[in-house]
Amino acid sequence: MPVVAKQSERMRQFKNKGKNAAALRRQRVEVNIELRKAKKDEQILKRRNILFSLMEENISPEDKRNEVVQLSLEEIVEAVNGSNEELQLQATQATRRMLSRQKEPPINQIIELGIIPRLVEFLTCADNAPLQFEAAWALTNIASGTSDHTKAVVEGGAIPAFISLLSSPHMHISEQSVWALGNIAGDGALYRDALINCSVVPPLLALVSPVTPVGFLRNITWTLSNLCRNKNPYPPLDAVNKILPVLICLMEHEDKEIISDSCWAISYLTDGSNDRIQIVLDTGILPRLVELMASPELIIMTPALRAIGNVVTGTDEQTQVAIDAGVLAVLPCLLRHAKPTIQKEAAWTLSNIAAGPCRQIQQLITCGLLPPLVELLDKGDFKAQKEAVWAVANFTTGGTVEQVVELVQSGVLKPLLNLLLAKDSKTILIILDTISNLFLAAEKLGETERLCLLVEELDGLEKIEALQT
Amino acid sequence: MFISDCRREFYDVIVSQRVLLLVASDVDALCACKILQALFQCDHVQYTLVPVSGWQELETAFLEHKDQIKLLVKQDDDLGVPAYDDIFRDDEDEEEDSENESEGSEPSEKRRRFEEDIIERTMKRRQRREWEARRREILFDYEQYEYHGTSSAMVMFDLAWIMSKDLNDMLWWAIVGLTDQWIQDKITQMKYVTDIGILQRHVSRHNHRNEDEENSLSIDCMRIAFEYDLRLALYQHWSLYESLCNTSYTSASLKLWSVQGQKRLQEFLADMGLPLKQVKQKFNSMDMSLKENLREMIEESANKFGMKDLRVQTFSIHFGFKNKFSASDIVYATASLMENIEKEGPETTNFIKALDSLSRGNLDKLHQGLALAKKQLRAIQQTVASCICTNLVISQGPFLYCSLMEGTPDVKLFSKPVSLCLLSKYLLKSFVCSTKNKRCKLLPLIMAAPMDVEQGTVIMVGIPPETESSDKKNFFGRAFEKAADSTNSRTLHNHFDMSIIELKTEDRSKFLDALISLLS
Repeated sequence: MPVVAKQSERMRQFKNKGKNAAALRRQRVEVNIELRKAKKDEQILKRRNILFSLMEENISPEDKRNEVVQLSLEEIVEAVNGSNEELQLQATQATRRMLSRQKEPPINQIIELGIIPRLVEFLTCADNAPLQFEAAWALTNIASGTSDHTKAVVEGGAIPAFISLLSSPHMHISEQSVWALGNIAGDGALYRDALINCSVVPPLLALVSPVTPVGFLRNITWTLSNLCRNKNPYPPLDAVNKILPVLICLMEHEDKEIISDSCWAISYLTDGSNDRIQIVLDTGILPRLVELMASPELIIMTPALRAIGNVVTGTDEQTQVAIDAGVLAVLPCLLRHAKPTIQKEAAWTLSNIAAGPCRQIQQLITCGLLPPLVELLDKGDFKAQKEAVWAVANFTTGGTVEQVVELVQSGVLKPLLNLLLAKDSKTILIILDTISNLFLAAEKLGETERLCLLVEELDGLEKIEALQT
Repeated sequence: MFISDCRREFYDVIVSQRVLLLVASDVDALCACKILQALFQCDHVQYTLVPVSGWQELETAFLEHKDQIKLLVKQDDDLGVPAYDDIFRDDEDEEEDSENESEGSEPSEKRRRFEEDIIERTMKRRQRREWEARRREILFDYEQYEYHGTSSAMVMFDLAWIMSKDLNDMLWWAIVGLTDQWIQDKITQMKYVTDIGILQRHVSRHNHRNEDEENSLSIDCMRIAFEYDLRLALYQHWSLYESLCNTSYTSASLKLWSVQGQKRLQEFLADMGLPLKQVKQKFNSMDMSLKENLREMIEESANKFGMKDLRVQTFSIHFGFKNKFSASDIVYATASLMENIEKEGPETTNFIKALDSLSRGNLDKLHQGLALAKKQLRAIQQTVASCICTNLVISQGPFLYCSLMEGTPDVKLFSKPVSLCLLSKYLLKSFVCSTKNKRCKLLPLIMAAPMDVEQGTVIMVGIPPETESSDKKNFFGRAFEKAADSTNSRTLHNHFDMSIIELKTEDRSKFLDALISLLS
């Protein structure tokens, strides 16, 4: 029939129609099956993953190769105390796996098994590196718990064993030992000093070299920071003197975490008496610290700011070193920082600089610190405002009359008087002291009347009177 | 839920249950409904049918029956759905993401070594953050635009076919569903042609016996035939002249609202050698000699007059000697029945009538629909002509805007969403042909018409620009939502198509202002 012939001819002109209808249908069905199969495979994979995580928590890649063995706690004790090396390793590994799972590792249970001394023994098996490693890891995790947990590890005799392992020919084992020692040192001044007395510092520092991998270096830096940490008492001076040069080096590394932990270590070392501060200053590290204070990375900037804040709690000369290193150029930004804690620390630093002689106060003015100070007083976070009040108070105490005038001209009175409404009595007292200092200065210039007017205009009088009730 | 295997995950589940069928108010949904009903009849599935015209009704119906509802399937055009894995994540162990919060705080005094390598963990965290960022992007894209996927009627037919329960009747409904999408300009030309191809194979399979003289069917049996037919609305049930005047493609291309346009029409007819008297007669009464080769003749002449797409691939249905209908005829008829402004009884009567008209036994309803459709098309063309001639379409910057005043003839017809959308599309097409402003040709259109005078509401639709390579994606849904939010306008985003909203007449100007600034 002509119509049909025309139809088929025309059909061939269009997409797909040139093909045989049967071929087309085959193609489509196949595509469908393929898609459905792919989806099905995906589903199975997903279910498998879930099942796995239900059955066994956290299977490490090594375990996937070997058979995953489930051991009961009794079996672990038996194996650990036995003499079969295979079983010792299996049991230690099982212990390690339990202790390294994400949620609620059974540290207390493991301690109660009483196997810690045996695990410490395993640390000394130089011919069985896997055993050393698993034991080191397990002990690290036990020591990462509470003080009692760390105590259990130390009392098992772990300290000298771990310090020996720092010189292990196997890098992963020495790294694990660094970690374990970091946990022990972090417990407090007592164990920190115990480590130092066992000569932990030289072999530890020896691990730092240009070819040390970054991950390893991070661990070392962290452990070093724990060795510098804690007061009552401060870390022994000779240890600090040994550690400092290496710390200075590490602060030049490019890795952010390494720089950060080094800065934290410096901040611990500067958190002390003036001679402690001097030791740090003598390394000449201050310009680098100021540079890091200006870093956009919060994890670097925070400890650098803390360290510098500590430095300016020292003598006027020590503060001058910080000023000479350029801290006043960086402070304005930090006073305006989005994070309240940064604002607070910056204001605290400023308040300590303002407690210095008038030549240093002059440098504050010259470097434009007054506007951001006033801004902070006005709009900052309340804790930062309290520090800012201290800064103003110190300014009026130590500043010359001209400097005080400049302070008033920068508009500090308004926000200062507003803070009289705060509920903090200490702050209010400081503000009142500040105001009397201002009037003292005004008197010297014969400008008392003007200052009175100013205060009244800003509703200061009312606020002060309100405090009388 | 997303279903990949229609048969196993859907049909097999519901076939043994009592089913609640919620059907939206558009022809495609109706066709899908018919197919499903036929399947249910086959398998003796008990069901309740509830027409819903929007989200609220869907919710109401759901709440009413919710005690019995276990699986909910809404008949609606499916929208392009992003891959499962990109949006959902099987719950992995929740890691404390405390790393971010503690940025800048002191290093911990003690650290436990976890199972995975630390680097691995940071990698995982980073991957997760990237995944979430990508997910946000994907969801934004997905929710930003509205567009339509495969016709639901075709999906239902596919289901029937997989179960080897497909009949010629169902195939016809699938064809009507697809044609509805095309007429409402919801899918691209590409998609339409592809889907026609798919249906063509089914048509051959079901209807090949016509070719075989020995085994040919009785003339009374229903047959579907592929047609490369004229794109003139309802022309076989009208006069050729009327159809030429009231089809948007010809009316816009020839610019029939103007005097020159009318002249051009005369030239066009003359070019084809068709006398005016003949052309104004009922099509069936036209001279046989003129009807022979009509399609080719018209196509040739149309090419000369700049109408290159006057013919379109489609299908027609025959049963008996008299009854021949093109798929588009059915679409227009059914839509008009569904949106009939003359209410004859409870709310759902029109819906049911429209549904019934899709069955061959209800020819009277179908003819009624055809009559209504003619009225509707005439009304549309007249409204379009008057809007163009009185410059009612104005550019607001990022879009064109046209508002129908109360008191405009036939304005009541356009208080219904499908009719208003059809009007808008035709208006935009005509406007693009009429305007000389190159920039305006690329703009989308927002159209407003009074909805309920007593309540003081207006119905508003937004349609994408008229371009050749349009992907038919509509961003107005989101835009309307945002504009309503920012101005606290009292709007109702009830329609399944988010680009259709109702709002209070008083809020109209501030709503539009917000839209303008939003889209500028």
